[in-house]
Amino acid sequence: MAVIEAVGLGKSFGARRAVDDLSFTVQPGSVTGFLGPNGAGKSTTMRLMLQLDRGDGRTTFDGLTFTELDHPTRRVGALLEAKPFHPTRTARNHLRMIAAPNRIGDDRIDAVLGMVGLSSVARDKPRTFSLGMGQRLGLAAALLGDPDVLILDEPSNGLDPAGITWLRQLLQHLAGQGRAVLVSSHLLQEMAVLADELVVIGRGVMLANGPIDDFIDASHLGAVRLRTPDRGLVVPVLRALGADVVTEGTDLVVSQLTAEQIGDAALRAGARVHQLVTERATLEEAFLEATGLTEEFRSAGAEHADGAGA
Amino acid sequence: MIDALRYEWVRLRTLRSTYWLIGLAVAFQILMTALIAWRVSVSSGSMGDQNSFDLIATIGASSGVAPLFIGYILGLLGVFSMGHEYRHGMIRATLTAIPSRVHVLTAKLVTTAVVVVTAAWACIAIAVVSMLAFGLALPDVSSMLGLAAGTGLFSVLFALSGLAFAALVRNQTAAVAMLMLIPTVLEQIIKAIVLAIKAVSDDPSGRSGLVTILKYLPYDAGGQMYTRLSIGDMLQFFGVVPFGPLGGGVVMGTYVAILVALSYWAFVRRDA
Repeated sequence: MAVIEAVGLGKSFGARRAVDDLSFTVQPGSVTGFLGPNGAGKSTTMRLMLQLDRGDGRTTFDGLTFTELDHPTRRVGALLEAKPFHPTRTARNHLRMIAAPNRIGDDRIDAVLGMVGLSSVARDKPRTFSLGMGQRLGLAAALLGDPDVLILDEPSNGLDPAGITWLRQLLQHLAGQGRAVLVSSHLLQEMAVLADELVVIGRGVMLANGPIDDFIDASHLGAVRLRTPDRGLVVPVLRALGADVVTEGTDLVVSQLTAEQIGDAALRAGARVHQLVTERATLEEAFLEATGLTEEFRSAGAEHADGAGA
Repeated sequence: MIDALRYEWVRLRTLRSTYWLIGLAVAFQILMTALIAWRVSVSSGSMGDQNSFDLIATIGASSGVAPLFIGYILGLLGVFSMGHEYRHGMIRATLTAIPSRVHVLTAKLVTTAVVVVTAAWACIAIAVVSMLAFGLALPDVSSMLGLAAGTGLFSVLFALSGLAFAALVRNQTAAVAMLMLIPTVLEQIIKAIVLAIKAVSDDPSGRSGLVTILKYLPYDAGGQMYTRLSIGDMLQFFGVVPFGPLGGGVVMGTYVAILVALSYWAFVRRDA
């Protein structure tokens, strides 16, 4: 059961700092979602972790860097890009090649092919594979050594909805066995269901790192919906407490304050409360807010003024 | 290191191009050695057992006027060894299976060398069989071994230079072009320019001056390892005295060693 510990990862391409001073840990038994807009440096970070790219910092797997591991395929499984295989080498032979230096037997090759649902095409050339099948073969390669760490870059790319559900169950199952799983994805709804922890980066720098619930709760886009016939009494009090108050139909939508604070404030103001409902931000809203993309993506209907929190 | 060799061995065995390149070299050798051996067997003139063997085994390359065909075919094994890594996005998968870049590159060099020299020697053996089949006498064993050594070594160095090109430019197509064009076009252009300058100089047949650099054209020099006949080529007139098989081998070997050293240097430092 390995802990992934990344410390001070950094990388420049010319004058551009692609990744800057990223530090985080991934605990065994959890799925850590790695989020960031396109070009934020997710893939570069993963390559740095595996010492494929040269850069600053250090990533250890139970204290050892990737190149210090003996038979790394048996410790760390990685999926870094779509279709990393020769188009005419059969799926099974591709896995045999990766298995050979790591002393992994044919039994295991057939087992992982079954695990990813490619048994029937094991002897086919991947040239004919769809993107989704290619991803499954990439996953099979990552799982080949039965590693206790998985580093997966956009594994759901090209998978159909059934494939995405399958992948989620597989990753949760693998984490449930005590493995540390780091997975990047642009499918935020999927990530909201899958991940326990998040690492969120934007333009190469850390924006958030911690439990996914904390990340969502920290969003300013979460709000409390208040229904009261005494708006005139309560609104000035709430604004005095620093809340943003917006009228939506018959309700007030209050952000920056908790339901408890709003209820207490209403009581002090002598206002009647007919309904008080906490509305949580979605992961998508929290993500867009954290990455500063909120303004670009928000629909014209919402009127919160404090969009770019990051 | 043994891990990386195992990887390379499976990689080579599970690739179609390994089979068709070796198959092409062998098929060409069977066809051409049989054809030349038959022509020699029915001709009235005699060029001697030694010359016959040299010409048949190298399909005319020993005359110094034709390239060593099997070298060019087998050389592609070297380019593909590294080129496929970049062409098919395999390099990161390879380096996550074997993180030691020195091991990865060394294993590629070793397996390429072993496979190429084995195939080259098989081609020499095919020539021997063809000569025996058409009732031609063989020269003494030591001279046959000498030619086999020269042909094998040239093919290996040629293939390793292709591997180094692919490692340096990280582009298979470009590496193939470099391997095919540098010996046959670039070196010939240099030769032509130098000779043109020499021809109009005060001492066109002197052995000194600019022409001495022609001895150091690496593929040309390496060709001395299998060149046996000196068909009075006009280079001699211009005072070009090539190195012999040994010196030529040293020139080409040094050139390939430099390319390989640069490849290690680049491969270890660059992003995968």
